[in-house]
Amino acid sequence: MTQTEFADQTTPQTLRADAAPLGRAPNPPAAINSARKGRAWWSGQTPILPAAGATGAPMTIVIAIISALAALSLAAFVLIASASAKWTSDLAASMTVQIKGASQEEIAANTTAAVNVLETTAGVTEISVKSSSQAAKLLEPWLGANADSYLSVPALIEMRAAPSARENLAALRTRLSAIGDGVVLDDHGGWNTSLIRASRTGQLLAFTIFLLITGAACTIAAFAARAGLAANADVVSLLHLVGATDEFIANEVQRRFVLVGLKGAGLGLALALVMLFLASLSARSYGAGAYFLPVLDFDMSLIAPMAMMPVAISIATAMSARFTVLRTLRLKI
Amino acid sequence: MIVGFENIGLAYEDGAEVLRSVNFSLDEGQFRFLTGPSGSGKTSLLKLIYLAHRPTRGRLTLFNNNVTEAARDDLPAMRRRIGVVFQEFRLLGHLTAYENVALPMRIAGVGQNQYREDVRELLNWVGLGDRMDASPQTLSGGEKQRVALARALVSKPDLILADEPTGNVDPAMGEKIMRLFIELNRLGSTVIIATHDLNLVKALGKPVMRLENGDLVDSTTPDPAAWRASG
Repeated sequence: MTQTEFADQTTPQTLRADAAPLGRAPNPPAAINSARKGRAWWSGQTPILPAAGATGAPMTIVIAIISALAALSLAAFVLIASASAKWTSDLAASMTVQIKGASQEEIAANTTAAVNVLETTAGVTEISVKSSSQAAKLLEPWLGANADSYLSVPALIEMRAAPSARENLAALRTRLSAIGDGVVLDDHGGWNTSLIRASRTGQLLAFTIFLLITGAACTIAAFAARAGLAANADVVSLLHLVGATDEFIANEVQRRFVLVGLKGAGLGLALALVMLFLASLSARSYGAGAYFLPVLDFDMSLIAPMAMMPVAISIATAMSARFTVLRTLRLKI
Repeated sequence: MIVGFENIGLAYEDGAEVLRSVNFSLDEGQFRFLTGPSGSGKTSLLKLIYLAHRPTRGRLTLFNNNVTEAARDDLPAMRRRIGVVFQEFRLLGHLTAYENVALPMRIAGVGQNQYREDVRELLNWVGLGDRMDASPQTLSGGEKQRVALARALVSKPDLILADEPTGNVDPAMGEKIMRLFIELNRLGSTVIIATHDLNLVKALGKPVMRLENGDLVDSTTPDPAAWRASG
């Protein structure tokens, strides 16, 4: 018997009226069970929809680039948040008392009185006095040596205080101003408010960029899904005729996009991490000059949101592709 | 009623009317050959039955459902009860012969363990036991036709439609395929086969519907002697 003839002319057992219910036998031949390139890892079966370009390498690369940008915007969000927290906590913990006066003697006397007030104030943890002559020393590059001999350079008291001390700030201000008109407490409140406002604006901007980039990924996925449907029109038509529902086809497309999304976003995340690591190394190499620059720490506050990014991107692109497929298929018979 | 056509007309978007006013009905277990010259509307009539198109007018009934008014979401369940052997096979090129045959089962959500042996048996039966892992691109026309046949039958459909199922096989194999359809019909499936092969139709002596220019002009059980006389 040749392979061009039927092996048996009788009706196959499978189709006989007395056939056993489906599912008689396990143990498939190795040829069928063998893992073949292109088979879906979750079921061992070849995906029903061919890749047909729309979810192939170009799409993975586009998703990778978009994901790298999304990861960088997320990192900027975290960076601004942590830098802002550091700056504002530094400002919140420190205050400065400025002591002006007509003479060195008046300044010195008021400084001593102010120190006494601060030492008896609950919550003040640290006091550091810069006398008039020490303050003049700081101004030497601009005013020349011994500026305090002809100018009444104000003395400064730097203090660090517990948060509780801020609750009685008005009383402290009153007690200090009672020493003299020139004794002024600066709690850095204006700076603090400005910094918080600036950092919130920066965070909002970074998050908006993240959302826009994710939106771009969804739009690209929608285009790719539509192109994929057009490229596979014959396959989709056949699947419908064999009884596939729109949801079945959408699930197949969605599954592909989840995989492409995870692969692309994973690559993008790796790329972004390398870029951030190099930027961090570069910032640290500035040494003292980088004191005011925010330093990126690779801790959980950074790693956790960035690790979620590939998942978020793959879910967003897969859902976008799914809705596009369902909407497009609805237009058919 | 498995299939019911009441004054069915079909016109394509370019305005061409391929079916005019077709009336017939088939109950469970009936068999019909569908014949007629090229362009007479055989394939279009089959397309209406396997729900590739909806009729432009008239009332189409499938499995006692009014298809003309059926919601789109109701169609997949009806399509799963139909096995179609397409004229152009319509195998998926990225799947193996085995996977093509298994396709209706996957779509129906049947587990691989439940259909694996059935698919293998069908492929063995059509003589392709050693080509299960072959890509359709490497199969001959006749082999593709047999894969398409196995795919159409694997889900044990209530209604079997075949469009020129013997067009790419030699006469001996064509007769074997026809005998399989007759056997499946005996087991309860309703069968409609569009074919040009009048010799085969005459030899099997089954009822025939004849289309001409979109009209059903004859629906009879042929008299082999008369057919022979008409050529």
